[in-house]
Amino acid sequence: MAASSTGLRYPSNKKTIYDRNINRTKTSELSRAAFAYLFVEMITYAQRRVTGIADLEKRLNTQGYPLGLRLLDLLLARTASSATTSPANLRPTRILPLLQFIHTTLWRHLFGRPADALERSAANAAEYMISDNDPLVNGYVSVPKEISQLNCAAFVAGVIEGVCEGAGFATDGVSAHWAEGAGGGEDMWPGKTIFLIRFREEVMEREEILGRAG
Amino acid sequence: MSYYFAIIGTKDNPLFEHEFGTSRQGGDGVARFREDARHMNQFIVHSSLDIVEEVQWGGGQMYLKHVDSFRNSHVFSFITGGNVKFMLLVAPDTHNASRASSASTARSSTYGQVSTYNPTAPSTEEPIRNFFIEVYDAWLKTIMSPFYQVNMPVKSPVFRGRVAGAAKKYL
Amino acid sequence: MASTKAARIGEDVWKTRVDKVNAELVTLTYGTIVAQLCADFDADYAEVNRQLDKMGYNIGVRLIEDFLAKSGTAACANFRETAEMIAKVGFKMFLNITPPITNWSGDNKQFSLIFDENPLADFVELPDDGRAQDELWFSNILCGVIRGALEMVQLQVEAHFVSDVLRGNDTTEMRISLIRIIDDEMPPDDE
Repeated sequence: MAASSTGLRYPSNKKTIYDRNINRTKTSELSRAAFAYLFVEMITYAQRRVTGIADLEKRLNTQGYPLGLRLLDLLLARTASSATTSPANLRPTRILPLLQFIHTTLWRHLFGRPADALERSAANAAEYMISDNDPLVNGYVSVPKEISQLNCAAFVAGVIEGVCEGAGFATDGVSAHWAEGAGGGEDMWPGKTIFLIRFREEVMEREEILGRAG
Repeated sequence: MSYYFAIIGTKDNPLFEHEFGTSRQGGDGVARFREDARHMNQFIVHSSLDIVEEVQWGGGQMYLKHVDSFRNSHVFSFITGGNVKFMLLVAPDTHNASRASSASTARSSTYGQVSTYNPTAPSTEEPIRNFFIEVYDAWLKTIMSPFYQVNMPVKSPVFRGRVAGAAKKYL
Repeated sequence: MASTKAARIGEDVWKTRVDKVNAELVTLTYGTIVAQLCADFDADYAEVNRQLDKMGYNIGVRLIEDFLAKSGTAACANFRETAEMIAKVGFKMFLNITPPITNWSGDNKQFSLIFDENPLADFVELPDDGRAQDELWFSNILCGVIRGALEMVQLQVEAHFVSDVLRGNDTTEMRISLIRIIDDEMPPDDE
């Protein structure tokens, strides 16, 4: 097939993506059920193309990743335009502001509230954890029984990974884990999930240099 | 003045290029680079990327203002959240001063600015900032599409139209 | 009048009985599903359309229960009433839109929905590969949803898009045709 790029056709009334205000849907809402239905279909479809839970989670992660890349710029731009001046001091250049952006700005936008906790791993300085007591993707979505250990938040982990790597913070992956006692237990938060973010060595080195510089 | 604008991906790969000339003060918006300057422009912009990379982890500003100069050419930069770089090279028109045409008055007044062109003056930085911000808005719309992947060249004529429009409006 | 009644039910259900979520989360999630299908099937758009329709069908057969429970509506008297319920209650309830109904056929068995708004397609520009705009129906999942949901209430329909602004058309139009009313003559269960 020849790379026939003849250019796209556009409606005569100029309805292209470039003609819509980027903030038009900033606060729009749809039904949570609509999301759940789509999400379950995404999982069911993905399930047919993988073997095992780990593969499935990896695939969900891959599908979430591009959302992170998009939301990073979208949300940064919106923060900028709502401030008094145009973009200033905006891109996260250090780990903590980046994680706060994820924990607060990203979470608020997607789930209507900040995440529940943000901590640094005691065992490994390059590892950070964001936890959500009741992830939307676990609470509302019922997955088929045979894959009940699946943590659907792997999709959200992919979103986080996309934000981090898009912003220039390479990771060795972001993964979603059931919190201890979670995963169908009698716990108060049966869906509680911890997102583990592992930054690459070069990111930690840069962080240290930037820290020394002031 | 003549402008060369390039969007550079995260692997230092060009995603979009556009040339234009001054539109304000009666300019006709046409770039007047010498043929052999074209290659040079790309080269200058490319070597400015090193400087952008040095400052990109500084304050976190998106608009990095004037980052580099080479002879009469000045390079301005804007960096997106996704670390895509907008690079704008500004150079005086090279071979038009003597050409007589209906636009010669307008052009000579533009040309006359060259000697006084100050890349760090607020009157230079501000319009370029506005240009970048308007391009950034169009850029956001490009990357929001589910079919856009990182570092994919932008071919949309509508996007090009937006860049040209921003150039005309502010520069 | 059936139309205003349906509109009122739709508004009421949306306001009081629907849990909400950020629209962009849904839009982006749907976008990533379609993009993944296009990648998996190597831009075989006919197959992508089919897969989307299938996903929609699965959703439709599950969604109808939720729809009936929330809207509290009884069986429709005729296909025109069904159309009103789809457009003003169904779409309102799930996507917060009410696509106008047009182009009824003379026998009242076919109509069109016009999508001036389509949250699934916000931000979308189809691939510039010379084929997507001729072959891909980006929002095809909606056809499957309608087909699946109506089958559960004994209506066999056929639904397809005839135009889409993403393809450069001036409108996005879905055509829905009633094929037949499914007779309830299932053999009784053994037990």
